[in-house]
Amino acid sequence: MGRFATVLNLLSVVVAIFALAMLLPLAVSLTLEDGAEGAYDLAILITGVAGFLGWVVTRGGRRELQPRDGFLFVVLVWSVLPAFATVPLLVYLPGLSFTDAYFETMSALTATGATVLSGLDGLPPSINVWRCMLQWVGGMGIIVLAVAILPLLGVGGRQLLKAETPGPMKEQQLTPRIAQTAKGLWLVYLLLTVLCGLSYAWAGMDGLDAMMHAFTTVALGGFSSHDASFAYWNSALIEALAVVFMLAAGVSFGTHFVALRRVSLRPYRFDAEARAFFSVCGASVALVAGYIFLHGAHDNFPTTARYALFNVVSVATTTGYSTTDYAVWPLFAPLWMLMLSTFSTCSGSAGGGIKMMRALLMFQQALREMMRIVHPRALIPVKLGGQVVENNIIFAVLAYMLVYGATLTLITMLLTATQLDFMTAFSAAAACLNNLGPGLGEVGPTSTYAVLDDFQTWVCTFAMLLGRLELMTVFVLLTPAFWRR
Amino acid sequence: MVQPFAVLHALSALTLVMALAMGVPLLVAELLDDGARFAFEGGMLATAAVGGFLRILTYGKQRELRVRDGFLLVASGWAGLPVLAALPLVLYFRDLSLTRAYFEAVSAITTTGATVFVGLDGLPPSINFWRCQLQWMGGMGIIVLAIAILPMLGVGGSQLFKAETPGPMKDNKLTPRMTETAKALWLVYGLITLACTIAMKLAGMDWLDALMHAFTTMSLGGMSSHDASFAYWNSPVLEAVTIAFMLLAGMNFSTHFLLLRKRSLSVYASDPEVPAYLGVLLVSVLVIAGLLWWVGAYPEWASALRMSAFNVVSVATTTGYTSVDYGLWPVFAPMWMLIMSGFTSCSGSTGAGIKMMRTRLMAQQAVREMRRILHPKAVLPIRLGGRVVENQIIFAVLAFMLVYGVCIVVVTLLLALSGMNIVTAFSATMACINNLGPGLNEIGPSGTYASLNGVQLSLLSATMLLGRLEMFTLLIVFTPGFWRR
Repeated sequence: MGRFATVLNLLSVVVAIFALAMLLPLAVSLTLEDGAEGAYDLAILITGVAGFLGWVVTRGGRRELQPRDGFLFVVLVWSVLPAFATVPLLVYLPGLSFTDAYFETMSALTATGATVLSGLDGLPPSINVWRCMLQWVGGMGIIVLAVAILPLLGVGGRQLLKAETPGPMKEQQLTPRIAQTAKGLWLVYLLLTVLCGLSYAWAGMDGLDAMMHAFTTVALGGFSSHDASFAYWNSALIEALAVVFMLAAGVSFGTHFVALRRVSLRPYRFDAEARAFFSVCGASVALVAGYIFLHGAHDNFPTTARYALFNVVSVATTTGYSTTDYAVWPLFAPLWMLMLSTFSTCSGSAGGGIKMMRALLMFQQALREMMRIVHPRALIPVKLGGQVVENNIIFAVLAYMLVYGATLTLITMLLTATQLDFMTAFSAAAACLNNLGPGLGEVGPTSTYAVLDDFQTWVCTFAMLLGRLELMTVFVLLTPAFWRR
Repeated sequence: MVQPFAVLHALSALTLVMALAMGVPLLVAELLDDGARFAFEGGMLATAAVGGFLRILTYGKQRELRVRDGFLLVASGWAGLPVLAALPLVLYFRDLSLTRAYFEAVSAITTTGATVFVGLDGLPPSINFWRCQLQWMGGMGIIVLAIAILPMLGVGGSQLFKAETPGPMKDNKLTPRMTETAKALWLVYGLITLACTIAMKLAGMDWLDALMHAFTTMSLGGMSSHDASFAYWNSPVLEAVTIAFMLLAGMNFSTHFLLLRKRSLSVYASDPEVPAYLGVLLVSVLVIAGLLWWVGAYPEWASALRMSAFNVVSVATTTGYTSVDYGLWPVFAPMWMLIMSGFTSCSGSTGAGIKMMRTRLMAQQAVREMRRILHPKAVLPIRLGGRVVENQIIFAVLAFMLVYGVCIVVVTLLLALSGMNIVTAFSATMACINNLGPGLNEIGPSGTYASLNGVQLSLLSATMLLGRLEMFTLLIVFTPGFWRR
């Protein structure tokens, strides 16, 4: 029991801090007098009291967190915080069911960007600020998760990243390491957000929108305060800036940190992932632009290229903004974009999917097996960034891919079993598992997830959680071995 | 390293066998006087001429075949012989394009069962006989390929099957091993086909149909002499008989061979695949029957079970017979059946997909990684049938799955690029790479591949070959490393 007390204690602290986060939308609400401040009062009260009570009750059992506790802690954080985050939504929007509200906040905190709300423009600004801010907070969590926690837990070959991350590496205790790393990465994250917000404001967004969209851009979340997303502004300049910042946020924040410390661009050149990420995005934009232009999706080539650039980058980085209904493009284009979202982003970013690092490893592994067939006795190492990758890590990565594929298939089947059509089921499964947001078919860029029934909504909610925590973190809790001492 | 002339020499022998094989439909045409005699005469003559020419060309260049030659022989044999097999079709149907004829022949030889012909009932019996006989011969080739050749070539972890196969094993020369194994397995294959023919005749088919359908049942091919496939007879007894033989053909033929030798049914119980194979099928049949009954597709439970049993077993074993248009069932059912075709049949059977052996290994590997996350330093061997499986083999199997997954995605995207909708594209890919036959929508159980254009058909011909030759065998020939010394 001592084990769980430690985890719950830490969770309570996180919940209490989370209550503080609600001060921002409260401040916005008070300033603009948008009529939603009562919702935040209550939410802060509930969250704060829950956090405090939890802390008091579990205070006695506190000790150093072990890696194994990390699994439970991470899963709890990402499933409990969305529950508290629903309070403002539930209070202000009485028609909203808990299922839908939880979906919305899970989508926010996992930086997915799938929404069940429509008429965003008519909501009180503070509600939109809350949604966008949740994504930003989620993004902070994700980056620390990706760079500091998952490598330590050894999920899906993440150990590979250990050597490259800032902070002390040798010890097995979680807390000091996480604290160190977090400081460095959050600094970068904050800087990027401020830069992004200022650029948006300069390019023509109003202050509040600039802040909200900076939040959701850097977190690769994709929530917007407008139903039309970026089509609301219809400004090439804003879109170009968004593309730049989405690409920047798609690179590992560990690399950004190193680049910042050394004041040099060289770390990017040596980051094999970043290189591949940029190449894949570039090639795909060109491919999609050419393809849809040939099929006459838009009038002239510059317009086509502009739409292709923004939407391809947005989907590939698992952000999920849109400037046009790309679902009506010839099928290959949206399908390819959906595929891109599974593997494009770098492993230390807030993006979803299997990550470019694993994709690169897998590609090399496939090549290696081909070579091994021709030369059965040859020793062929798999290398990444000049370093030889251990077999153990390749195993972990391969197993991860396998579980990813099986999960995607199962979720799709589960959704088709509830009478969704195949396109909607598959795209919803992929969009949620990759933490992308908009799918195709009924849940496409111009629609919302409100069309799903309660069961389907829960399946999608779970898929977002699974994808965000890299599957294994959640699945390992379901094994009996985990609960044995 | 590669000995092209020695490979051509072996090919010439196969070509001459093909010419001889055309004698059978020629005989049928002669006896029934169905007007297709000239097509087979022409085809036979041309094939014999090609074989003779190759024979002369490679005269005196016969060498012992080595492993690399094996790849080339298998790849060129499976891709080249369909050209000759298509000759009678091209000669008989003046307006049939070569692309279509080649698709039909590849579909036959790879035991896929996809067809571009409409109005099968009106074709000369000898033409239908040739299609079915090609499937049967393809099945012979596959068994030897799967049990004798691929393990030796070390494709996709099939080394695993080495220890269990009849015939000499230590030898590194291809020919003696192949002939030994072939003799034993073809005996089994022939015996079961004979039993199947008699059983089908007793269950109500006429002799010619019984023989043709025994051919396509044992090869898990699925071509039929009737457009309606098994709905033509609408006989529960016949369906039950067919299910039994499809189940037999979906098991490893070396297990059947062991049965002959040991005369004990325990060989099936101790087979690493058979229990899982039957278990998955049973559960799926019951689940889908339950679903059909639940949604009211069939008023009585018994007919839901009958329809589910026949079509699920047919699709899962990659046969592709149909007794009803299951494309009209709730989308979960056909989708799940398609996915089953990807993993259900046993290695060493005439079925396709990744095979149950690899599926089980993969499941174990996923569980192992989960345990390894909890116990990073534990040594966790993977066992199959009581033996520890080497890491090398697991790597090969994982790489196989990876390439399989990538192939499905790429072919689906290419088909989408050619203008197909997603369900058709995905189902066509699955149906062809798993050598199943019918897909969904216009290429579904009540349709044919006739509506596809030349590019799509060529792509799918390649996909069938890719699936049949377990990806690597075909892909490897296109790598530069293969041709270097």
